[in-house]
Amino acid sequence: MRILIENFTKRFGADTVIDAMNLEVADGEMLALLGPSGCGKSTTLFAVCGLHVVDDGRILFGDEDVTGWSPQRRNVGVVFQSYALYPHMNVFDNVAFPLQVKREPGPAIRRRVSEITAMLEIEHLLERLPAHLSGGQQQRVALARALIRRPGVLLLDEPLANLDARLRLDMRSEIRRLQRETGITAILVTHDQVEAMSMCDRIAIMDRGHVHQIASPADMYRNPVSTFVAGFLGNPPIAFLSGRVRGGRFWLDGSTAGIDLPGGCEALEDGREIRLGVRPEHVRPADSGPLSGKVSFVETHGRENLYDVTLNGGQVLRSIQPVRGDIAPGQTVHCRLDTDKLLVFDREGTRL
Amino acid sequence: MTPGKWLGVLFLMPATLFVVVFFLSPVLLTAVFAFTSMSTATGVGEGGYLITPSTLHRLAERGMDRSTAESLGATTYLVNPETLSRARAAGVAAATLDELGQRHAGKSFDGRRGFERALKSLNNRPRSVRALKQAARHFETSVLNRTFGQREDLLAALAASGVRLSDEDRERLVDASYTGWTWTTDNLRRMFGTADTAQVLANTLIYVFVTLILFNTGFALVLAITTFYLPTTEAAVFRGIWFLPRITPPVLYVLLWKWFAWDTGFLSTVLGWFGVASRNWMLDTAFNAWVFVVLINGFVGASMGMIIFSSAIRAIPEPLFWASEVDGASRWQQVRRIILPQLRWPILFVTSYQTLSLLTSFEYILLATDGGPGSTTEVWSLAAYHTALNNYAGNLQYGYGAALALVLVIIGVVLSLLYLRIFNFDALVARPRIET
Repeated sequence: MRILIENFTKRFGADTVIDAMNLEVADGEMLALLGPSGCGKSTTLFAVCGLHVVDDGRILFGDEDVTGWSPQRRNVGVVFQSYALYPHMNVFDNVAFPLQVKREPGPAIRRRVSEITAMLEIEHLLERLPAHLSGGQQQRVALARALIRRPGVLLLDEPLANLDARLRLDMRSEIRRLQRETGITAILVTHDQVEAMSMCDRIAIMDRGHVHQIASPADMYRNPVSTFVAGFLGNPPIAFLSGRVRGGRFWLDGSTAGIDLPGGCEALEDGREIRLGVRPEHVRPADSGPLSGKVSFVETHGRENLYDVTLNGGQVLRSIQPVRGDIAPGQTVHCRLDTDKLLVFDREGTRL
Repeated sequence: MTPGKWLGVLFLMPATLFVVVFFLSPVLLTAVFAFTSMSTATGVGEGGYLITPSTLHRLAERGMDRSTAESLGATTYLVNPETLSRARAAGVAAATLDELGQRHAGKSFDGRRGFERALKSLNNRPRSVRALKQAARHFETSVLNRTFGQREDLLAALAASGVRLSDEDRERLVDASYTGWTWTTDNLRRMFGTADTAQVLANTLIYVFVTLILFNTGFALVLAITTFYLPTTEAAVFRGIWFLPRITPPVLYVLLWKWFAWDTGFLSTVLGWFGVASRNWMLDTAFNAWVFVVLINGFVGASMGMIIFSSAIRAIPEPLFWASEVDGASRWQQVRRIILPQLRWPILFVTSYQTLSLLTSFEYILLATDGGPGSTTEVWSLAAYHTALNNYAGNLQYGYGAALALVLVIIGVVLSLLYLRIFNFDALVARPRIET
């Protein structure tokens, strides 16, 4: 079911936390709401499921305006960050709860519970209490409970935040599999860009109540609209160099090094202050060249090494390289950048 | 023992002292008094021996031969140095007394006539009939209505009065005439034997369980749940109002209820406008008295449960409410399926705690109905108070009152132990984290 958020505004007292937000999630799509904590992504999720009152604007499920509907009426499945399993009920009752409150007949409930728990591979845990489940099992129970009513919309609020690293990897693909199998429209709220990129069809990146960009993960990584988006996506993160344009080239502040700009930037007038976004994978070592600096930090990732290079003039560049033993901290190196992959932003951070 | 443990003992000393002085010793004294016949009549000190007409009546009831009992009450006339000197001091002629002493020393006369005849037959007899009767009076001897300090005094007087008693009868007399308190198990026998006890027990059960179920737990739950769903400010005001009875001085609080219920009070006045005859609504009927007793105690008791349940509800993680809302649960389903199951322990705690406090508290009933009308609202603790410390007849039966109180203490201790068991108190008291 399509979800349409139109001019959604939310205020807490005098604070407007979300101002006239617009967002559309297509039927069967999984969309990530990505942003730092306090950006309003959970607030948006709570408005979609009806726990928050919408102060202005509308929310539509399909073509139906559900803005004034209570959460009970909306038929949404929600997985909360803490899972919110009912501690006094066993797994069966937890999963069956949404059907029990609808007073569905017992046999139908049992059939549906065994169906959904089989799908989530928790059918052997039905008698257990939540306290006697592992984190991953609790997560699956929460998912089962969210899906049992066959909701039109699945909302996931930081579902992986409480899992350990290994389990997080498993559940990432598990949730995506379920979403694909059921064909349900889903919104995933997360602050983790890896989660957002690996699980979702599209990402809506938010900051301070505004959606900065909506795009597919690959597109957003390649073409961020702002330094905020560019800085949020990618691990290890992008490095920004500030400097000025002169003669169609970029001149690093505090250095005499000039860098070629990517295509489409020839029209930039001389003397304009810009920021250059350089991803670590687009920095290569070179034998010589105008760009040189001292290796200030080396971090081993196993397959790759991450190098921090402090350029002449004090700005820092990051580079990720297949593991090699010939570069040590303190050493002076020369760098070459992949010109066509460079991202050019103005002083305020907007992509040029 | 390590110094650390001594420090622990030292820290416990004040509390231990308080427990011993203000709890253990009263309980112990109650247990002791429960097995005595102490009352206003006996006093708490040592008593004496006194034979009254009612003693004789009692003796006859206890199997003493009726004529023997009556003989104890008879007056005899004794001639001995004691009576002679008493008469002399009262101014009876010395010659008369001297002659009486010579002729009848050591004799006793059973009736007044016999002695008067003996007096008349003296050479130096009193000159007028009036003088003779007056002189005779000084020789009257009776064990009746005289207090003897010791058992031996009583027996000596008895011997002097010329009444002969068998050993068995003598023991009976000593027992029956003793005015002090004695050790006895009569209190318990009386408690379990009288119909009054059953009535008081029934009253206590009604009082405790009706108040508990309707108010201390039931209404407290209603208040806690409704205020949970109210906006914060309204909820605080509402809770504040229901807390007022608890913080109002009991006397004032009950006085307000009395004004409300009196025959010239609020209720009668308002109902009077509709033609209902004014009356004291509180004491009008036993049913009304019970309604007021339960309301008065319930309004006070509800606040504690309300506070505990409110905080317990607020301790339920908020996501559970969110989850139940999106799962489609209505308010009522939320209350029944989420809130109430999570309040299981608080409910059990409030119920057990309030059972104990209701069992032992009687101040509101004392102030409101004083157990009336009749003794329809007389509960166990109030009965103990009335029996031992304050009653209309004036004879305070400390011993019997203590026995009533002892039963309460025993019930309290047994229930407390049971509750500690239910609440798994041992599990709550964790081993200290700091090694000593």
